[in-house]
Amino acid sequence: MRHPLSTRSLVLLLTAVLMVSFILSVSSGRVPIRFSDMIRMASNFFQNPEGALMSKDLVFLWVRLPRCLMAVLAGSSLAVTGAVYQALFRNPLVSPDILGVSAGCTFGAALGLVLPFNSMYLVHFLSFGFGLMAVALSMGLARVISIKPVIILVLAGMVVMSFFNALLMVVKYFSDPYDELPSIIYWVMGSLSRITWDNVLVLAPFAAAGIFLFILLGFRLNILSMGDIQARSLGMNPSFFRVILIAASSFMVAVCVATCGQIAWIGLVIPHLARTLAGPEHERMIPVSALLGGIFLLLADSLARTLSSAEIPVGIITALTGAPVFAWFMFRNRSSGWI
Amino acid sequence: MDLMLECIDLKFQYRNKIVFAHISFQALPGRFCAILGRNGSGKTTLIHCLNHILNPLSGRILVQGRDMASFGRNDIARTISLLPQEQIDIFPYRVLDVVVMGRAPFLKMAARPGEKDYAIAEKALRQLNAQDLSLRNFNRISGGERQIVLLARCLAQAAPIMLLDEPTNHLDFNHQHHLLSSMGRLCREKGISVVAAMHDPNLAAMFADDVIMIKDGRVMAKGVKEKVMTEENISTLYDMDIRKVGRKAETFFSPRDIFLNCRL
Repeated sequence: MRHPLSTRSLVLLLTAVLMVSFILSVSSGRVPIRFSDMIRMASNFFQNPEGALMSKDLVFLWVRLPRCLMAVLAGSSLAVTGAVYQALFRNPLVSPDILGVSAGCTFGAALGLVLPFNSMYLVHFLSFGFGLMAVALSMGLARVISIKPVIILVLAGMVVMSFFNALLMVVKYFSDPYDELPSIIYWVMGSLSRITWDNVLVLAPFAAAGIFLFILLGFRLNILSMGDIQARSLGMNPSFFRVILIAASSFMVAVCVATCGQIAWIGLVIPHLARTLAGPEHERMIPVSALLGGIFLLLADSLARTLSSAEIPVGIITALTGAPVFAWFMFRNRSSGWI
Repeated sequence: MDLMLECIDLKFQYRNKIVFAHISFQALPGRFCAILGRNGSGKTTLIHCLNHILNPLSGRILVQGRDMASFGRNDIARTISLLPQEQIDIFPYRVLDVVVMGRAPFLKMAARPGEKDYAIAEKALRQLNAQDLSLRNFNRISGGERQIVLLARCLAQAAPIMLLDEPTNHLDFNHQHHLLSSMGRLCREKGISVVAAMHDPNLAAMFADDVIMIKDGRVMAKGVKEKVMTEENISTLYDMDIRKVGRKAETFFSPRDIFLNCRL
């Protein structure tokens, strides 16, 4: 049961891996950017900020850099919210979609894509709004029913999710099959190709605040995962913590899905990988989850950009790699008593 | 003797069904008080009410003379610990990390347990001769060992009142006796008042000091074990004809006719 690496050294190691992956990821793609280019750009920036930029510099500053930052932020956010949800719902098979946030976001985005205004801001805004609305509906429904809070919350999430999936089908059915339908389908697959600095600047504060909050509440998450009765007998109010943690998670996931589309499997698989490496105690595994999620999405997105001359939606890559990895974890952890 | 826990005219209902009413009793420091009753008689509900995990419809619970309604959740947890009936296995926590959860009411919201808290947790395990378990996976130890670990968590919580909810469910003969005798010893040594919902009148006869019998949502009998645990009372409580065998410390209750006389 003792883990070979202390959490501190594991976090340091993963931070180093993240930094190396980031440099590799920023430099790879259709326009190769060498490390020397980055240093030249940085020194130019400090010596002569008004100077003319080369096309390489433009690619780096306005496309590559925000995209890679977004990959790290979104990967971390999805991974830690997955970890938090698995503790809250006391179920290792839960991912952040469970309360319908992704379904709501996808419906909102599809609606934005078929509406005539043709504005990406509207798509993001509707997606974010409907994502939060879906979670609010799930929680409201569970509150009205108000018995066995955890199971009812999962069931309410399923109801809301199915409803928004049905609405999504309505939108798809009435959309223009040559233009709008493909854009909805690509959007659902999840991609970081349209990321701008604006998106990064919206997600960054949510992600930072959320991850910080989850790290602080790590020990409380251990107790919450023991069930409401034990949590209460240990002096906690589980309903209060559920509302806080679900609200914070939903904001993070809604921003991710509203800007990147559905990126599958990170929220489910990464927490398991983190638990295998750092142990199940949340004060140790949450920071590890955040780092692993960032590394995983960053690498997946680099593959999405470089595997073929056309861009592959990153959601396909995370799903293709995530599913077998998860199968391996089930095998690996088969004797630890939680699956 | 000063009072530890007193409840006065407690009443609880789920929707329209009254689970119990007019429940009044006192638990004294250093004494082991067993609550006996049939399945569904509201023992677990009563235990949860005493801990304010459930809120009674009416009645008052006094802890050392203070009304518990004025307590915050953390104050309650510092005063009353609970050995739960439900068994949750989810993440493969280490035993020591489960025991240290007992320190939660003493920690700030965002704090994690420090060295001092882990030392208290280890000491609690030692008091129950369970120090060998401390690095094991909580999911992979036996049911009896788990109850011991959760009892250690209650000790780490250092509350003067301890509630046990059917603590010997699913335990083998050895673990039943180990758990209850450790409990009895700690209760007397530390002056803890223990209130335990129990199924087996024979275990209650062996380990408890006081007994409260609950039937049809009312207190049927309460008081010192020797006075309350009579053939008549036990027979009425369990709706079957029961006789007492043995004497003094080695008293057992056994159905008079094992095969015929059970009325459901």
